[in-house]
Amino acid sequence: MTRDPHIIAEEVLRVRIGQLLVNEILKRRELKVPVHLALGHEAIAVAVSEVMGPGDRLCLTHRNIHYNLARAQSFAPEVAELRLSPEGIGGGRLGSMNMANPGRGILYTSSILANDLCVATGVALGGRLEGGPAGATFVVTGDGAMEEGAFYETLELAKSLDLPVVVVVENNGWSLASRIHERRCPIAVEGLAAAFAVPFASLRGNDAIAYVHTLERLRARAIGERTPVIVEAHVSTLGDWRGEPTPAEPEGRVINYHHGAAATVTLGDVMLEGWPVIREDATDPVHVLTTRVDEKTLRAAAWRLLSAMTGEIA
Amino acid sequence: MTYVSHLNALLKDVVGRSSRLVAYGQNVVTGSCLSGLTRGLIAGPDSLVFNTPNAENALVGLGFGVMLRGHSAIYFMKQQDFLLLGFDHLVNTWNVARGRENLGSFSVVTIVVDSGYEGPQSCLNNFSDFCSMAHLPGYAITNAHDAGEVIGRHLVAPGCRIIGVSQRLFSTEIIAPEGAVAMDPAGDVIRYAEGPDATIVAFNFSFPEAWSLHRLMGERGRRASLFSVPAVLPVRWDALLADVRRSGRLLVLDDGKSENRTSDRFLLEVLRLGVPVRIAEARRHFSPNDLAPNPDRLTADWESLIDAVFALDGLD
Repeated sequence: MTRDPHIIAEEVLRVRIGQLLVNEILKRRELKVPVHLALGHEAIAVAVSEVMGPGDRLCLTHRNIHYNLARAQSFAPEVAELRLSPEGIGGGRLGSMNMANPGRGILYTSSILANDLCVATGVALGGRLEGGPAGATFVVTGDGAMEEGAFYETLELAKSLDLPVVVVVENNGWSLASRIHERRCPIAVEGLAAAFAVPFASLRGNDAIAYVHTLERLRARAIGERTPVIVEAHVSTLGDWRGEPTPAEPEGRVINYHHGAAATVTLGDVMLEGWPVIREDATDPVHVLTTRVDEKTLRAAAWRLLSAMTGEIA
Repeated sequence: MTYVSHLNALLKDVVGRSSRLVAYGQNVVTGSCLSGLTRGLIAGPDSLVFNTPNAENALVGLGFGVMLRGHSAIYFMKQQDFLLLGFDHLVNTWNVARGRENLGSFSVVTIVVDSGYEGPQSCLNNFSDFCSMAHLPGYAITNAHDAGEVIGRHLVAPGCRIIGVSQRLFSTEIIAPEGAVAMDPAGDVIRYAEGPDATIVAFNFSFPEAWSLHRLMGERGRRASLFSVPAVLPVRWDALLADVRRSGRLLVLDDGKSENRTSDRFLLEVLRLGVPVRIAEARRHFSPNDLAPNPDRLTADWESLIDAVFALDGLD
């Protein structure tokens, strides 16, 4: 299917601006719930949302804001849920870490590492009973959650039952405040996929438009071959900062803020520059958009989105 | 008919006529089929019955996923202690799912290893612990009527629950109480006999002992009410408390080994009545020695138990 790059680009901007607005709310300490921002994760979230068909379902983790924003049809109910308002997408009963949106295919969200992987197998199996057009079940996990035994069990079960599950591993290199090398041995996800004869793809570069094409192909394989597939998306969680210098780390340790506000990212600052880029390199999906779409068009879209979304939650 | 044959017939009936249902577990359609429990299960319309790998955590999550999609799942499990590996889902996934609209059904049917000979790492007769932590309904099946109620009402119904069956009872002749039966609207508390002299209440898998005790009491000229409490987390105690208030004599049987027994909660309610009640009990008291392979029967001096609630009457 031919995709309009402008639409995909605008979606990336919408997910970024939505997060920036939530970040400002967080900085004002107006939310009681712990929000896990995903600044820098927008490309994979938009790509997943873009390729999802009507019969597809999506299962998420505690860091879900980017997928929820990508799937949402309006911004206000998302923010209302974070405020635990009855007008929220979950009636104020789910908060942040379990935010789901069944009407838009987000059937389940879990704050427990790797929990959603197991549930996704059942969601996919349930789809088989329905007899309608085949769909895929997308399930998101991370480089921390895939350390759990449930990751292995899920691959085994999904492959044994021929389930079209697209496992998206968002690899940002962190689990809480620990980098991968600080907590475990390296894990070759591709090798693990090969052990189960599961197709695998690695996504790098944060190019949402390229990601859409890759995911489209993998989704088709999952459905056509009735097999799980694994996509490892390398992401950088933006908005981190450095602590005080120490002898061991003279430049200061990188603080991955995990949840709460990205204190170093300010909506006013980034929009003063004209549009919401946080880092001008390939780690920022918004910056990468300039390789695909005219920058002037992107800036105009960003301002329009900012105005509309600000108005929604005013 | 044996206990397991009776259960198998009921399960085959429900599974065979349910649509959009998955029934699964380790060895459910091969080998002994869980000692006959799942032998001959045939899938109904748009349904599946299948063996699984050994992945209990994922398999519990699988059931919840099917339920969230609006369909039905039954996970048959050879030993209830295997369910410890799926506790994350029983608690956390259920906590998210329980409020959902258009929820399907998920039942975990587990064999509670209450026979004792499997040893310290497989015997786990602590059903109420599973239900308590998860605030999850559970039902222990001990006789033919209870089996019909529990399987008929709960095996395929919106929401999630654990249904426990007793390994110790598998090859025994199933008790089929006759005569008038009364129960609360939820089917949580079932009365199989009504008598003025005492109230006998069976929890967990102790109904066979309660049944014998009721008969023994009859032989001694005492007519007692006899209750089974298949629900592990009953909501209403009204029928039981009314009978206790009337009889003033209570015999409580509970073979569960939890420190959080359903019978404890019931006894607290009895004390709250504020009326004199003579209470005798046959219940478990933990000892590490009991973890070694053993028959693990709920034993008591049943004559003395009866004496304890009637002693001051001077009638026996």
